[in-house]
Amino acid sequence: MKGAHLAVEKICHTYRRGRQQALSDIDLEVKPGEALALVGRSGCGKSTLLHIMSGLLAPTSGKVFIDGARVEAPSPRWVVMFQQPSLYPWMTVAQNVALGLRFTGRANEIASRVPEMLKLVELSDYANRNVQDLSGGQQQRVALARSLAPSPEILFLDEPFSALDAFTRGSLQRDVRRIAKDLGITLVLVTHDLPEAVTMVERAVVLAANPGRISEIVPIDLENRDDLRTPEYAKARSRLAAAYENAAGRGLRPTAEPAPTLRSIGDRQTQTSAVPAAR
Amino acid sequence: MSSTDIIADPADMAAGSDPDRTGRLKAARSLGFAILGMALLLAAWWVGGYAVQNNPATTAFADFAPEPALTRLGEMLSSGEAMQMTVPSLQRVLQGMVIAIAIGVPVGILVGRFQVLREVTNIPFQFLRMISPLSWMPIAVMAFATWDGAIVFLIAVAAVWPILFSTAAGLRRVDPSWFKVARNLGARPWHMLFVIILPAISQDILTGIRLALGVAWIVLVPAEYLGVTSGLGYSINDARDTLEYDRLAATVVIIGVIGFLLDFACQQAISKLSWHRED
Repeated sequence: MKGAHLAVEKICHTYRRGRQQALSDIDLEVKPGEALALVGRSGCGKSTLLHIMSGLLAPTSGKVFIDGARVEAPSPRWVVMFQQPSLYPWMTVAQNVALGLRFTGRANEIASRVPEMLKLVELSDYANRNVQDLSGGQQQRVALARSLAPSPEILFLDEPFSALDAFTRGSLQRDVRRIAKDLGITLVLVTHDLPEAVTMVERAVVLAANPGRISEIVPIDLENRDDLRTPEYAKARSRLAAAYENAAGRGLRPTAEPAPTLRSIGDRQTQTSAVPAAR
Repeated sequence: MSSTDIIADPADMAAGSDPDRTGRLKAARSLGFAILGMALLLAAWWVGGYAVQNNPATTAFADFAPEPALTRLGEMLSSGEAMQMTVPSLQRVLQGMVIAIAIGVPVGILVGRFQVLREVTNIPFQFLRMISPLSWMPIAVMAFATWDGAIVFLIAVAAVWPILFSTAAGLRRVDPSWFKVARNLGARPWHMLFVIILPAISQDILTGIRLALGVAWIVLVPAEYLGVTSGLGYSINDARDTLEYDRLAATVVIIGVIGFLLDFACQQAISKLSWHRED
């Protein structure tokens, strides 16, 4: 697998029944293998933009190019993972994972590719289980394996972890980032969870609403994304939070201290030293 | 919380925490209730027969009572007469159901999938659905060269609506993200139909078929009053004309038993093929 180059040119979108323009003049470029987040408050059009990028929605005007070719329809070369795993409950885990290969005439690859993908998401022992027997986190892992099976060049993530508990969410965030990095896949993540963006991507595009437009692009340059207690992490999060608040029009003063997480709360309860914060 | 949530099942209480024992107790209790219900029905029939026999005005109909009717039923079974009258009826119902399924499922899918079609067909279909299938009798007699053809037509007209509406309603309830994911994974229209839509609505189709079979079985008897010289409806009519009320009552029993068995077979098929989890 390798990541694809994604270019968005002058995207505007108005929903057929909507009076308000959802997106206005969006220009954006994502390099091959880069991880990018679209963040912003609810209604700023980040999911709409992701749907347009993936070809699931046709924009009112503007163009999307993937590796120079215009995107006009969805394709297994660029796959979307949604908030809900949307697995097919009449199929086993393996059958769900094999779907993309089956649909694209690559059935001969199923025998080798499906176990490989299940191993990647640590569900090798669940191949023949019905997906209804799995927990929410396991189902989302199956959805990830299903998305990766056709060897996509771009993985679009539409708030895929927001329905999960904090521990499962953290584990999946790390796994998706690791897998995308290892395979060189371009990653586009939609989220309103700022720590998630800081943990997973190298660049965050902050969108303002009414109409949805790019307010700011925040680079997130971190050596170690797994340790949420480093000053660098706090600084990156703070900078993103400031851009987010600015785009949301609240103009709140940025704070350097990270928002409390389950982990930091646990640390506070067990340690006497304060959580380091960049000031 | 409903009252059923807080009132414990006596079978559960009696079995303690052993699930196998609970299952056996529940099955035994269901069987006990079924036997009780049948005993009550038989008792009502016996009381009715006794009253008819002892009333001078109705004594001519005394053969409706259980004893002569069941004696005659035994004779009909042993002589093969029961089979002889049942097979043509089953053939007609089968043909009518095949036509109803062949029309009802595809049209139901189109109506469920396309809103425009749903809006266009809503009033005409509701209008046609409310017309008693037997109202088409004169038209059927004129339109078809054989009596059999007319009967099969009447059965199909009666059976098509439950299948069509159940299919359409099932499709409207399908999670839209299933279609989105399938499109994204490269599903072609035939994949969408055979891999996603049909399995997703299989239970709705089977439920429609079950309802349709009930309606078809009810319509069968009056439909077989038309010209034909075979079948359960003909047998009822013939028994009335020859004043053989024991044969008439025995035929009614055969109709009821076969109707029950057909419904039971449908229920079993639904529970075998269903992917829905009860818990």
